[in-house]
Amino acid sequence: MPKLTIDGKEIEAPAGTNLIEAARRLGIEIPHYCYHPGLSIAGQCRLCMVEIGNNPRPQIACNIQVAEGMVVRTETAKVLATRQSIMEFHLINHPLDCPVCDQAGECWLQIYYMKHGLYEPRMMDEKVHKPKAVPLGPHVILDAERCILCSRCVRFCDEITGTGELGIFQRGDHSEIGLFPGRELSNPYSANVIDICPVGALTDRDFRFAVRVWYLETAKSICPGCSRGCNIEVHYNLRRPHHNQGRRVARLKPRYNREVNRWWICDAGRYGYKFVDDPSRLLLPARRADTQADEVVWEEIIPLVAARLSAYRPEEIGVLASPQMANEDLFLLRRLVDHLGIPNVDFRVPSRASGDEDRILIKADKNPNTRGAELIGLGPRPGGLDARGVLRAARERRIKCLWVLHHDLLLSAWPEEETREALRALDCLIFQGSNANGVSPSAHYVLPSATWVEREGTFANFEGRVQRFWKAVEPVGAALPDWEIIGRIGEALGMGPLPATAEAIFKALAAEVIAFRGLSYRELRDAGKPVASS
Amino acid sequence: MAELILTRNFHRPDSHALRLYQETGGYEGLQRVLALPPVTIIETVKKSNLRGLGGAGFPTGVKWGFIPKGHPGPVYLVINADEGEPGTFKDRYLLERDPHALIEGMIVSAYAIGSHLAFVYIRGEYVQPWRRFARAVEEAYAAGFLGRNILGSGFDLDVVVHRGAGAYICGEETGLISSLEGKKGWPKLKPPFPAIRGAFDAPTIVNNVETICHVPHIVQRGAEWFAALGTATQGGTRMYSVSGHIRQPGVYELPVSVTLRALIYEHAGGLPDGRRLKAVVPGGSSAPILRADEIEVAMDVDGLKNAGTMAGSAGVIVMDETVSIPEALMVVARFYAHESCGQCTPCRESTGWIFKMAQRIVEGKGRKEDLDTILDVARRGAGTTICAFYDGAVGPYISYIEKFRDEFEALIPK
Amino acid sequence: MRAPAGVKVQFTGGQLQEVRRLQALYPDKRAALLPVLQLAQAAFGYISLEAEEYVAGLFDLSPAHVHEVVTFYTLFFREPKGRHVVSVCHNLTCHLLGARRVLAYLKERLGVEVGGTTPDGKVTLLSVECLCACEMAPMMQVDDRYEGHLTPELVDRILEGLG
Repeated sequence: MPKLTIDGKEIEAPAGTNLIEAARRLGIEIPHYCYHPGLSIAGQCRLCMVEIGNNPRPQIACNIQVAEGMVVRTETAKVLATRQSIMEFHLINHPLDCPVCDQAGECWLQIYYMKHGLYEPRMMDEKVHKPKAVPLGPHVILDAERCILCSRCVRFCDEITGTGELGIFQRGDHSEIGLFPGRELSNPYSANVIDICPVGALTDRDFRFAVRVWYLETAKSICPGCSRGCNIEVHYNLRRPHHNQGRRVARLKPRYNREVNRWWICDAGRYGYKFVDDPSRLLLPARRADTQADEVVWEEIIPLVAARLSAYRPEEIGVLASPQMANEDLFLLRRLVDHLGIPNVDFRVPSRASGDEDRILIKADKNPNTRGAELIGLGPRPGGLDARGVLRAARERRIKCLWVLHHDLLLSAWPEEETREALRALDCLIFQGSNANGVSPSAHYVLPSATWVEREGTFANFEGRVQRFWKAVEPVGAALPDWEIIGRIGEALGMGPLPATAEAIFKALAAEVIAFRGLSYRELRDAGKPVASS
Repeated sequence: MAELILTRNFHRPDSHALRLYQETGGYEGLQRVLALPPVTIIETVKKSNLRGLGGAGFPTGVKWGFIPKGHPGPVYLVINADEGEPGTFKDRYLLERDPHALIEGMIVSAYAIGSHLAFVYIRGEYVQPWRRFARAVEEAYAAGFLGRNILGSGFDLDVVVHRGAGAYICGEETGLISSLEGKKGWPKLKPPFPAIRGAFDAPTIVNNVETICHVPHIVQRGAEWFAALGTATQGGTRMYSVSGHIRQPGVYELPVSVTLRALIYEHAGGLPDGRRLKAVVPGGSSAPILRADEIEVAMDVDGLKNAGTMAGSAGVIVMDETVSIPEALMVVARFYAHESCGQCTPCRESTGWIFKMAQRIVEGKGRKEDLDTILDVARRGAGTTICAFYDGAVGPYISYIEKFRDEFEALIPK
Repeated sequence: MRAPAGVKVQFTGGQLQEVRRLQALYPDKRAALLPVLQLAQAAFGYISLEAEEYVAGLFDLSPAHVHEVVTFYTLFFREPKGRHVVSVCHNLTCHLLGARRVLAYLKERLGVEVGGTTPDGKVTLLSVECLCACEMAPMMQVDDRYEGHLTPELVDRILEGLG
């Protein structure tokens, strides 16, 4: 590995590393716009200039790779003067509209102007005018005047999605990014261009003007939209609760994980969180007799549900767990099922809509934790019925009590009328989930779950990578994490005390389930760890 | 009068015909040359002090030497016939009046660098020169000078004639490569240099038309002969394009040691109507301007460099005392703003701005700080861009104002 | 700008053969994009958005990438042009030797502004950067030809000679 010095500090970096990345390892930030580690080198913005050896001219750090004995300086008078000049060039035709720009607060023109610019403006001539507020597609809106032509978005569509919708048209200071006239930017990853746009040129139609970014807080999380398990950040707003119609979760952003999603997420995942602050959320536990539903407190409903579960013979009970649930939930559920000896357990409910899949990130399995459910063992016990069998048995009144966790059985691939018939035939239907769905109105007991952003836990993605997600906001109403609901029912049924934390459950899980052996909740850190290869 | 080499047949109406070219010695030594070891040709060209005549003045043999030795894949020779530098028209003359000189030069050069596919990129506006040249290529194929096993030498060469579509930046060698590849003429980042990874990702040599036309003569008559025609650091003659306020505008082939004064007054007949010289652009519009008292300078690459300007493409634009330098700057600034490719920020953003300022000054709406702003912006932007285009624009921006500041100030309201 | 009714954006068999010949000339077929766009302009009169999409299809390129190329180069016309195109050089040498007068004269004679086409569709007038024929300044390009040493009388003769 070549050894070089950057600002007097020695560093070894693998051959092929460019100077921006080498400096980053030393904690030295070389400012840049067009460079992005996930895209090809463009060298267009000219901001990442550094001095190398005795070369009289500063060079762009993005296009220079480390070499043995190289001496790089990033803070010389010449470099600082060059950066200041480049900032001025970037802003010559940039409108001064920060107060009405949605990027304000996370705009790299603002950030770098304050850090590296701070010159006296002297551009008094008419700026070049270009199209403003042009919707490019369902998610992205363009202000071409704010664009600094870094070409990141163009390269993203060329190199990552291979869809090539965007181009830079015309030339000189009339150059502008755009679509072929009449086309739209609607590939399944389109909104990533918003993330990589360093300025306010490409903004999010869903998010813009909802909340100022400085009111947002961040929690690390995992996208629950499919079995890829893309690492994300949840950006939520608690400080200005009156903004954005009271929605707490403002947006999801990709979080880098080299092994999973690199810098990207798909649009379906990015905008798939709306159920969190939706009016359909189940707020309080409820008990229903005939057509009358009564909202009750947990202390009242837990013993009732426990009593019903112990009132039937285990073969008369069906449990439909969900691969939407975290490992901690599934592990406690398995314990409870085993405790009661219920053989009819399953988690596989085929969806009516066939899931799309591609070679980038999107997986056909739209559940975040199918692998976890498989490994923990939520399938039928010996002699037990699978999900379809459970419903058939319910129609035949052999299953009398059904506990459905999250699934909307009416949206399954099975004939809807058969499912309705099964649900009607039940003596006792328990529904546990975060939002009302096709099943919840028929349930005798409704147990409101916290969504994944309202709690912590782990998912195992399709490759068996166990990844943590963190709590962003409090559960709505009286909703509880699934593990806590299951744990309380188990406690009432003599399964033992309710574990105190998700971490405690994970510890027990790692001790008991072979695939998870050796994993520690804390040691999963931000990037997660794979289960033992099976 | 020095010997004419490249332009020797220009006076003949049929100078473009294969028959005439052969009658005057063309293709005569080709068979012998194609038997030489390629490295000998490269060494000869190095020793001849032939320097690129398109603008940059880089030593041609040295450039050829950058091709990786024993490269397993294809190597391409690309001829830059995208003549576009304001004040320059010599390559048009060569394409129209002696196309076989270029073809023979290409055969020798391609052989030297191990290329079997060569491209000639002709600017789109040059329709007649393209027709002439394309016809000559057909003739050369028919006569066995191009194609398989040229003159029994075992050497193969195909030539593709490619037309540009209107963009000055395609005269920049990597902009030309991008354009040849079917893209916008955006120059490429260096490294890698084209000799390592150029057209179609293969090692590529891009040379100007006139440069390549010299090669057969150098190989035939020897490096020493060619070197002796010029100065210590640049060999040969070159074709000066002379235009503007001059009695006999046109192309003049002269040893590179000729002075600017001699070129204007002895060869091109001086200024018309007894008018006085005010300024000269010596090497195409990108070359810093010279005042009338600065013309006692040799017209080789280093002579002009030492005089604070550049030989560039040897396009000499003569300006008499009636010329408004601020207006000239506005015209030149309009050109650079129009031709900036838009790829990198300093050039894209400031060429347009500087044109706006220059235009305001000419319109009498200048501000007293404008001149210093132009100078400062130009100096700060110089050397920060992907290609040399912006440095070419900076040449006139700075020199016009520095050398004729009074004229600018006179236009700015007090 | 859509193609006027009646102009079919579709190469003939012979033209398609030429497209394939051009694509085979280069190590990468994309290199034939400029020549094929030149062919398209000759065939369809100008390069409409339909033509861009059509050509993109011949190269397996996204239309945006063809649009980048068409909008970058000055010799591609994106709107119908006159039967003749007159491009007056306005760069330095021509400027010194009266390009503005030539252009003003042409504007008056043709009754159009720069970029305009005469109502009879005969001439499109342009003002362009250096055509590299400074020895004949002031000069202009008329279709394929260069015309230099322009005077009002010569401009008149040239215009009269246009069919």
